[in-house]
Amino acid sequence: VRSRPLIALLLLVCLVACERGETPVAGSSSLPPIDLSKPQDGGTLVRRLNLDISTLNPLALASRYDRYVANYLFTPVVYLDRNLQPIPGLADSWEISDDGLTYRFNLNKNATFSNGRPVRASDVVYTLKKIADPATEAVQAHDAFASLDVAKTRAIDDHTVEVVFRERLAAQLIRFIDVMVIPEDVYSAGDFRKDFITRAVGSGPYTLVRRDVGKEVVLQRRKDYWGERPHIETVIFKVINDHATALNALKQGQLDESIIAADTWQRERNNPQSTRIIDFQRFYTLNYNYIAWNEHNPILKDKRVRRAMSMCIPLDAVVQDLYQGTARAMSGPFTADAWAYNPTVPVVKYDPAGAQALLTAAGWRDTNNDGVLDKDGKPLKFDLIAMTGSATSKQVAQMAQSEMKNVGVQVDIVMMDGSQAIRRLMEGNYDAAYLSWDLDADPDPHAIFHSAQTPGSGGQNFVFYSNPEADRIMEEARHELDPSKRKDLYWRLHEILAEDQPYTWIVQVSAKWGVNKRVQGVASSRGFGFFQWYPGELGWWIAAPQGDTQHPAPASSSAGS
Amino acid sequence: MTIYLVRRLLYAVLTFFGITVATFVLIHSVPGDPISFFIGRTGVTGIPLEVQAAIRHEFHLDEPLPLQYVYWLRGAITFDFGVSIVDRRPVRERIAEKLPATFQLNLVAFLLASSIGIPIGLWSATHSGHLVERASAVGFFLLYSLPSFWVALLLMQWLAVRFDVLPLFGMMSNDYYEMTVWQQFVDRTRHIVLPAITMTYAQLAIMARFTKSTVTEVIREDFITAARAKGAGTTAVLWRHAFRNALMPLITLLGITIPYLISGSVIVEQIFQWDGIGLLYYDAILSRDYPTIMGLTVATAVVTLLASLLADILYAVADPRVRLGERA
Repeated sequence: VRSRPLIALLLLVCLVACERGETPVAGSSSLPPIDLSKPQDGGTLVRRLNLDISTLNPLALASRYDRYVANYLFTPVVYLDRNLQPIPGLADSWEISDDGLTYRFNLNKNATFSNGRPVRASDVVYTLKKIADPATEAVQAHDAFASLDVAKTRAIDDHTVEVVFRERLAAQLIRFIDVMVIPEDVYSAGDFRKDFITRAVGSGPYTLVRRDVGKEVVLQRRKDYWGERPHIETVIFKVINDHATALNALKQGQLDESIIAADTWQRERNNPQSTRIIDFQRFYTLNYNYIAWNEHNPILKDKRVRRAMSMCIPLDAVVQDLYQGTARAMSGPFTADAWAYNPTVPVVKYDPAGAQALLTAAGWRDTNNDGVLDKDGKPLKFDLIAMTGSATSKQVAQMAQSEMKNVGVQVDIVMMDGSQAIRRLMEGNYDAAYLSWDLDADPDPHAIFHSAQTPGSGGQNFVFYSNPEADRIMEEARHELDPSKRKDLYWRLHEILAEDQPYTWIVQVSAKWGVNKRVQGVASSRGFGFFQWYPGELGWWIAAPQGDTQHPAPASSSAGS
Repeated sequence: MTIYLVRRLLYAVLTFFGITVATFVLIHSVPGDPISFFIGRTGVTGIPLEVQAAIRHEFHLDEPLPLQYVYWLRGAITFDFGVSIVDRRPVRERIAEKLPATFQLNLVAFLLASSIGIPIGLWSATHSGHLVERASAVGFFLLYSLPSFWVALLLMQWLAVRFDVLPLFGMMSNDYYEMTVWQQFVDRTRHIVLPAITMTYAQLAIMARFTKSTVTEVIREDFITAARAKGAGTTAVLWRHAFRNALMPLITLLGITIPYLISGSVIVEQIFQWDGIGLLYYDAILSRDYPTIMGLTVATAVVTLLASLLADILYAVADPRVRLGERA
């Protein structure tokens, strides 16, 4: 008798819980057929944030997710096109002085911020000064504007701005993609670092409806947008940390796009239930994996040893077995789709016998018959750092370990999380590490291979590579404005680095993505994938958008049906 | 009673300091610091050294550890736990905004587990050895040993993806803000079902078995036999005599369970994207966000200590022997 109220309560919970949403299920057969060739306006796109964004302040962007959101809200001075070449953004056109130090940008005269105020040249100057000011912590852009001459940079009139640098840099123009212009009157009031984490005023095609920290960011298309209006009315970014949850949401239609782990991607694209609704795509982005060799280690200082180590890595097996053919072997510091890539430089061949011979020539012999080569009484052994949280990182490290053991080299794998590893790298306190780089649109590798760019001086040459010829070429190429001369220099640099093997280059891994088939106009660029180029995600549209397109927050099931 | 309370309170304060010092030393001795993490997250594109130095200075990371602790303690005394290194928002605010989600979920799970588990435990105690009771014991052990991430994914696969009766993840629908209050309630309830089930099933098993074993012990005692002998019915004996005397261990269980109400579960919160304390803790540790870690530690420690204090008081109230023992 006493348990009745409990049962009643449980029943109530069930009733409430099982009551279905009241929005009718759309997508029934009575809808007219869709003309897929003609972009349609309206609809809601639901995108994924693997991690919540840390800020909406476009100058303090830290992660790629911060950037995903900022790209809808702000306009950079220049955009990149599909080939990652600069095209007009907020600036309609520009002139660069012959000495390469002065940039004059002519701003779009119709451009306005989301609060209705026109964009003025003074806002661009303000934004640049903010980037140059170390207190802003503009980590992504600060370095690129380190040589900005703040005193000489000025607004010539309301729509013309003159930007002056102290150093001529070939990559400078491209770096204006990070100059997401903010309205001075709004951002100079209040605490710059604290007050713009959850609010934003920009000149982009969308405005912020709300940011619910830890959960979602909701954006709506601006009615008064000055440029070419995008098609999609509402963009919702959902924070979904878990890959399995994201995949389920994709399958169910609650989510329109997500990156997908390599093994899941291989499995799901052969699953008819998934392919019915999801378009599985992959593309190469500007990144590569490599083993870094610390040249402060006396063993690894010898480039013959480094080359021998490279010859121990069966790159074909890595590509085929670990990545099922969805990665490609690297021959040097440039990826195959970059103009700086020299196709005549070969990938280091897998050749254990050759590696053994090279080590013998370098004086390494197994004098005490313990299976490990030695020289001057010291064994040929070192630690290899691999990252926790990445299955393939461990697999590659283990493969390297067993292959190197076969030629008499003892490798001890040390697993570390990213934060710990980076600290060790920056202190130079390591032997070797399996790592990856995400590269910029411009291929300049100065910060990672120039001998002066050691961690102690703010650079990322944590392998302490030093070659005077390479130094000279990198310095020259950085300042060379003629693209064809610059290309020749990087082709030569590619040869030198491949010869010296400061890294053992492993693979460029393609990014795997799943996109709901109702999303149209999805294209990838040469190196940046779907996003961060123009039009990129701003060119997407949704087949048969439905519901009231004026609404900032659309019905829950419209995304799902 | 007063001496007893004062003594317990003193223990609690001492323990509290012990916990904060230990946590402080521990998190600072884990390799990597917020700056190196930040560099990692931003892709090592280079933070100027002067900026790194400024950030370290701002958070007192450039000073000796004992001094850092003093700085922290000075703020903590006035309930100022500083600002997060990740986004510079006050730690208090960051915790306060996640607390309701975790509390809600865990409260529902706790209520479900106890309202189902305790009656089942009582029933099992009086039917000990019965075939159904034996089978349920095996069932509960099985339930208890199921890994929660697996159960969560299974629930998702069937109830959300395959049959689409419940929402897949999150705490509310996209159109939540346009709903009536009743619709909002329904929406919230629908979202809490799957994570709550995932949180409940193991707890339920513990509750049922725990109640069963403590009540069984009491039932064997002489006064129960006496109560039966005087002619009291089974239900009366169970509720009025056995259950009441089995309360002591249950109070202990309560004392252990209360802190869980605010310390979220990383696995459940991550899979269902239930934006609570568990995810915050996890992120804070990964990003070496010292102020947030310390803030969360304090919150958990305070609740844990209060809960055990409460349990101590309840013991004294429920059992006069505890109070008398102090005087002796």
